[in-house]
Amino acid sequence: MFEDTIIAISTPPGQGGLGIVRLSGKRALIIGKKLFRPRKGRITVRKPIFGVIQGSNEGGPLDEAFLTYFEGPRSYTREDVVEISCHGSPVILEEVVRLGVRLGARHAHPGEFTLRAYLNGRLDIIQAEAVNDLIRAVSLTQARISFKQLGGSLSRRIGTIREKIVHVISRIEAGIEFPDENLGITREGTIKEIRSVINDIKDLIAGYDAGRSLVEGITLVIAGRTNVGKSTLFNALLGEERAIVTPYPGTTRDFLRERLVVRGAVFNIIDMAGLGRSAHPVEQEGMRKGVRLASEAAGVLLVFDGSRPASREDIELLEKFRDRSIIIIINKIDLSKKFGRAALGNTAGDIPVVEISALKGLNLDVLKKRIHGLFVSSLRGREDMVLHSRQKIILEEIVEVLEAANSAFLEGYPEEVGGEELRKVIPLIGRLTGEISVREVIEDIFSRFCVGK
Amino acid sequence: MRQPDYDVVIIGAGHAGCEAAAATSAMGLRTCLITINLETIAQMSCNPAIGGLAKGHLVREIDALGGLMGILADETGIQFRLLNRSRGGAVQAPRAQCDKARYRLAMRHRLEHLQGLSLYQGIVSELVIRSGKACGVRTVDGAAISSRTVIVTPGTFLNGLIHIGLHSYPAGRANEPPSNELGEDLRRLGFTILRLKTGTPMRLDGTTIDWAQFQAQPGDEAPVPFSFRTRKVVENKVLCYIGYTNARTHGVIRENLDKSPLYSGRITGIGPRYCPSIEDKVVKFSHHSRHQFFLEPEGLETNEVYVNGMSSSLPLDVQKKILETIPGLDRARIVRPAYGIEYDAVSPTELLSSLETRRIGNLYLAGQINGTSGYEEAAAQGLMAGINAALKIKKKKPFILRRDQAYIGVLIDDLITKGVEEPYRLFTSRAEYRLYLRIDNADKRLMPLGRALGLISREEYQQQEAKQKRIQAAMFFLGQRKVKDRNGDTLTLREYLKKPEIKIQNMLEYGKFSGSLSDEEMRAIESEIKYEGYLKRQRKEVSRLKRTDRMKIPKDLDLEKVPGLTKEAREKLEKYRPETIGQARRIPGLTPAALFNIGVFIEAERRRRMRGARNVPRETLAEDE
Repeated sequence: MFEDTIIAISTPPGQGGLGIVRLSGKRALIIGKKLFRPRKGRITVRKPIFGVIQGSNEGGPLDEAFLTYFEGPRSYTREDVVEISCHGSPVILEEVVRLGVRLGARHAHPGEFTLRAYLNGRLDIIQAEAVNDLIRAVSLTQARISFKQLGGSLSRRIGTIREKIVHVISRIEAGIEFPDENLGITREGTIKEIRSVINDIKDLIAGYDAGRSLVEGITLVIAGRTNVGKSTLFNALLGEERAIVTPYPGTTRDFLRERLVVRGAVFNIIDMAGLGRSAHPVEQEGMRKGVRLASEAAGVLLVFDGSRPASREDIELLEKFRDRSIIIIINKIDLSKKFGRAALGNTAGDIPVVEISALKGLNLDVLKKRIHGLFVSSLRGREDMVLHSRQKIILEEIVEVLEAANSAFLEGYPEEVGGEELRKVIPLIGRLTGEISVREVIEDIFSRFCVGK
Repeated sequence: MRQPDYDVVIIGAGHAGCEAAAATSAMGLRTCLITINLETIAQMSCNPAIGGLAKGHLVREIDALGGLMGILADETGIQFRLLNRSRGGAVQAPRAQCDKARYRLAMRHRLEHLQGLSLYQGIVSELVIRSGKACGVRTVDGAAISSRTVIVTPGTFLNGLIHIGLHSYPAGRANEPPSNELGEDLRRLGFTILRLKTGTPMRLDGTTIDWAQFQAQPGDEAPVPFSFRTRKVVENKVLCYIGYTNARTHGVIRENLDKSPLYSGRITGIGPRYCPSIEDKVVKFSHHSRHQFFLEPEGLETNEVYVNGMSSSLPLDVQKKILETIPGLDRARIVRPAYGIEYDAVSPTELLSSLETRRIGNLYLAGQINGTSGYEEAAAQGLMAGINAALKIKKKKPFILRRDQAYIGVLIDDLITKGVEEPYRLFTSRAEYRLYLRIDNADKRLMPLGRALGLISREEYQQQEAKQKRIQAAMFFLGQRKVKDRNGDTLTLREYLKKPEIKIQNMLEYGKFSGSLSDEEMRAIESEIKYEGYLKRQRKEVSRLKRTDRMKIPKDLDLEKVPGLTKEAREKLEKYRPETIGQARRIPGLTPAALFNIGVFIEAERRRRMRGARNVPRETLAEDE
């Protein structure tokens, strides 16, 4: 049964420091080699090698990573296995999986690596009873149940999308099967219908990040120049001494992360190294990471030192983050105030500004209220959009297929060619919810079009 | 043991029975074709047309396997159209109006001249079964005919019951006796019997129609024949006409719905939705202000006209009132009323892919008895049943066409793995590999197989090979010649032809191609090139699926042992008894999970048995460069 190569993220979801994408099957190494370019040297068996993940054509390298190749049968599944470990950001991990799928791998079913291990004789001590459980666990029905539990309204929305896709397919098929009957099916109408499904799916995908935040926490980065009191704020928010605080600039060389619950909403607060000029290579590395983290985070808490006059660097930082969801924090108001809202001038626009003293705990409650207001209120009512990353990837693939079908119709290819593109949606839908059967399409034709002799 | 009277006995001489008989006798077997009425051999009981989407595809495939339907449709056709000319080659299909009487006579003439074939008029009352195997038939007049295999192709005759309004009478077709004893016999043997329904519209006296009220629909300027083997040019001899119902018509129908056996609940059989009666259309699509119908001549030597689109089981007086509301038909005389008919069918889940029944060996079923509708669907099954009955006698492996090989494969696989709830009609949408299963390559796909079976002559086969050579040469030519496109890029003519607005004729002319190609050959080349990317992808998918789909499900598989199977899945598997994972995959309602569990179980069992007994060397890993 295992002619194909499977791929999946094999570390638990959420933003761990590291994440692993695993490939297993005949083409694991071939796909791995296309995905990953070693910095130097070549891929050898069972030896991690450092290099970069090649993004899609335009993007250039996606991330730095280690690749380890396990030649079958000396591997977990007894097949060729390639493990790519890179930064734990779900965005990166999903992209690696997506690239792998594009190169010919298939999304693994839940538990499929273990299943292969069993069938390939690796786990032959396991008794039949245990296998039974295993098979049950990997059954798609189970997956579908958990899918339902995750959000009934989500499956309803996907159900609607599915129904619309059936409609589009059946209108094209009706036109092909019954050329002598005037069914009033126009190409323009078809294009419009496909466009509408695409928009529905894009809406759903847009809700993904919001939905994920509710489960995994909203990531906020505390940013600012060195020694403006970021770590003090970090600790003050968490109410414990977590970051190492010293009066010397540059103490936080890497970054720290903690969970913070504000009025029932979960935040991942990241305290990162100060942004500014620094000669120290370790610090520079920390800053580089910081910039990337900030770009992936849902929002930025930008901290300024209110006890010193605003500098050009401060203004530059503000300009850099202005277009993100940010809150400006003017810290150290317990000291003599040299810098207030006015100093930032027009650059601040209508960005919320909170003046606090992290050290003395002044106005922290005001800040928390602001944080909640800005990042949580906007998400309310979107609880139905909790998507798994797997589902999101499938939805994105569906959009790709629909776009291809739409361009076939736009560019004047005959209906059966557009129809052929559209048929690729069927197995994708099957992986998301129930597969579309021909019978269903034909039933739809006869319920919507009056055809037949 | 005494030599049986015949190798094959075929019950019923409709489109399935005739093809079956032609195939078995051509394969050298002594065949007896039994029919209730020798005058109505190969009768077109409903519309006077053959072909259309998917059906025209079937006829081409039947033809490539040596069947008769295509040749006879060409011989007796009176108007030819290639449908979907505005679309691509994969969804184009021929359709022809045929002269019903001449089709019937032409078939009888053919059969009478086939060596080894005997025609016999009689009504079969029962099958003779010995140790679970069919070995002959008995007729109502007491005759017994013994044989090695039996093919049953009774059409709508098994317990046929005709309805016109609230009147009904037993019949297999208007005014022809039904076959009730055989129907009862099949029930007695334990077959799962379905009650199905179909219908046919009224026939009018053409001299009483005001033709000026209707829009003429001519045949094609360059008519395309069905058969690869037809050398004569086919011609258009008649016109068809298009008309519409109106609000008054719909009013009459609504007022009289209580007299419809369907709406009053007298008909319990399930009718086909793709062939709705006019009362169905008016009820289900009440927002439509009119419905289209076609006036089609039934033949050259008759004035009878078939009203395509006006199928009904309303009483005769209501049928007359309906016509009165339509300008041009207001004075038309009905020569045969429209009627509905209910009949028995056997659930096709009783069948193996060879069309032999699981229940009784050497017994084959084909045509409407398997729940299909349509002359073409019947003919295709008849041909396959005939071939397989012959192969069985010759102790050879059954002839099975896969879904990626032929529409015939799609048809039979659908029937046996999904069963039917209403009369089954083939659609191109049912084919996964629609872009490949084309009318222009049916010969390339199937003639080699037809030749191997002995159903295609050497000469016919050589012509096919010569045609493929011409096509190859032209494709090679198009791949060599270059052209600059609008952006100044240099492309081969072959690449350029992939643009949607470009036609093959332009490319051949532009490149000054010196060879000569028929329209048919040009269509084949155009499809091959325009669909190239899709065809490649499909070939890949087929080879991937073949491996898993071919995985055999052992006949003695103990479903109780398969872990994780739901009760529902077990029941489905018991009912359909799939022979392979591929067949199981297409059983409706069987979840991927269930399939996965079975596949895993079979594989695990196999490995358990093999463990230790081997040490297979690993395949060397293919490098990417």
